[in-house]
Amino acid sequence: MSQRVILTIGTKKGLFVAEAPKARGRFALRGPFGQGVAVNAALVDTRGTPRVLASSCNAFFGMKVLRSTDLGKTFKETKSAPAFPKGDGRALANIWSLEAGAGKTDLWCGVEPAALFRSEDGGDSWEMVPGLSNHEHARKWQPGAGGLCLHTILRDGNRMHLGISTGGHYSSEDGTTFTASNRGIGAGFVPDPFPEFGQCVHKIARHRDAPARLYMQNHGGFPEHPDFGVLRSDDHGRTWRSIAKGLPSDFGFPIVVHPENADTVYVMPLEAPTRTCPGGAPAVWRSENGGDSWKRLARGLPKKASYFTILRDAMTIDEVASPALYFGTTTGQLWIGRDGGEEWSCLFDSLPPIHCVKVAVV
Amino acid sequence: MAAVTIQIPEALRQYCAGASALPVAASNVRSALEALERHHPSVYRNVCDETGAVRHHLAVFVNLSHVRDRSGLDTALAPGDIVTILTAVSGG
Repeated sequence: MSQRVILTIGTKKGLFVAEAPKARGRFALRGPFGQGVAVNAALVDTRGTPRVLASSCNAFFGMKVLRSTDLGKTFKETKSAPAFPKGDGRALANIWSLEAGAGKTDLWCGVEPAALFRSEDGGDSWEMVPGLSNHEHARKWQPGAGGLCLHTILRDGNRMHLGISTGGHYSSEDGTTFTASNRGIGAGFVPDPFPEFGQCVHKIARHRDAPARLYMQNHGGFPEHPDFGVLRSDDHGRTWRSIAKGLPSDFGFPIVVHPENADTVYVMPLEAPTRTCPGGAPAVWRSENGGDSWKRLARGLPKKASYFTILRDAMTIDEVASPALYFGTTTGQLWIGRDGGEEWSCLFDSLPPIHCVKVAVV
Repeated sequence: MAAVTIQIPEALRQYCAGASALPVAASNVRSALEALERHHPSVYRNVCDETGAVRHHLAVFVNLSHVRDRSGLDTALAPGDIVTILTAVSGG
């Protein structure tokens, strides 16, 4: 079978899957799966036989993990979902991230309230990772507007980087012991602008072949701290510096790295007070020099009267030659930015509010 | 212990082989839920969270009374009582 591009679109009302030939001409949409239930995280797992996993955050009956072994044509619940141990006192409120682990069936999962879980059997059983979940800081983390969520899990061998809102960036050399690593990451909502932990990290991204280079969309939008929002680290996240100069706003949620070039990074600036597109004119901004300068990419996007939000996991990039960007909006549109974001068009314009978008070539 | 029946909502019957009602022996609502946890853990996980609390958007009735209007999970059960689990009016 020829290669296909598989998009997962997690929405407020379930999961949609869109599929296209590698040329990405026309995408066929199927779903919703897990009808009526919010999907905040998804993973197209391309290790071995491709599997699609998605969180299904059921306000009535609790959290589930959905799994598909037929490229998102059908889904079944895994045998169990992450759950806090008895006596812990916490109850799972949402599943915010699903990521592949080292082994063929290893999975990592970040949840709300912020904690880390691991599965060794493809999602049928889960164990809480105490080094992060019971970290001495854990009971001091505070929820942001989106809840107290562990939303980013990046792996480089055994080394891990986690993003927690509102907790900050935590790193680990072995996947078991985690250290707050927030030097240079600001927090404009507490008296100490550079606390040890407690930052409202929105998203962290990196290139798989340049693991020391990390990019972060942090909670910016503080007039007195214009350099808090968009950050870069070149030392595995030990120290961070601003790369926001040249952007119309340092507030935003997603941040995405080009699959072939660690110096090329994309953000979607939003007006801080409203979390919507500046001036009602959405644009992705691209840097091709690691954040030293930025270019506005808006050809094909609305020029006015567009006041949507793009959430932290709602922008991604594929790995086809001359990759395409994709972003989903809280008003239910899914956009594709062909040729690295140079030319935009709307793939679907009336989906439910979009929470997350993931893509893989299978 | 009283022999009572727990009415299972349609959405949860997939977790108990399609049963719409499950008989349990319980002296109050709490012990009925504990029996549910012992005998039908998959159903129980949908009804109660890890702390043992009934999920926020579910409502539990004993016969025609919401347990919040009686004694909550300590509401006593008599033989023949029907415990009904329903989704609350919420969403959007």
